[in-house]
Amino acid sequence: MSEKELGKKWDRCLADGITKLGTGLGLGIVFSVLFFKRRTWPITLFSGAGLGMAYSNCQNDLRSHYLLHRKKKQEQ
Amino acid sequence: MAARIWPLVKLATKVTIAGGAVYVACDSGLLGSSEQGSEALEKAKAAVPPALEEWMKYFGLEAQRPTMPRIEFSPVNSWNAGVRWTISSLSDAPTRVSEYTSQGLQYIKDLVK
Repeated sequence: MSEKELGKKWDRCLADGITKLGTGLGLGIVFSVLFFKRRTWPITLFSGAGLGMAYSNCQNDLRSHYLLHRKKKQEQ
Repeated sequence: MAARIWPLVKLATKVTIAGGAVYVACDSGLLGSSEQGSEALEKAKAAVPPALEEWMKYFGLEAQRPTMPRIEFSPVNSWNAGVRWTISSLSDAPTRVSEYTSQGLQYIKDLVK
């Protein structure tokens, strides 16, 4: 993997992390206000879940370069 | 009858709002892959200034919008320059130390003479 490609992957990871954290925060606030009497734990839970999804995406993205993908295998 | 239905109506409304929020989040790609997330962020970045301008015009605050100062600072370039400086200093360190040591010894010898 070239350095430029790696840099782009890290940029995507960071952007994805910010997006998912914000989405989790927003959904957490919505659920907290509607169902859980404005408690803090749904906000924390959903934000954490968003961060975890971003971490998982980042991990798959960084590992994908070293995996043999099905399309390439069929071409061979 | 109405007293029994009202809590159900409230619950149904809450579920609809929460479900709608989750649907919008999933549909706009916010909870998808990295590429979809960064695309959604780019769309939001592009949509915010015109929306902000429109709201400013609506409230008559057009003249008060502060201009964002352009800061020509790249943390990546600064970091890389710092790393290069550190490594070149470390590689020059033995030579410099021996030079300064010999200069110091020479100075002391001259003093002693």
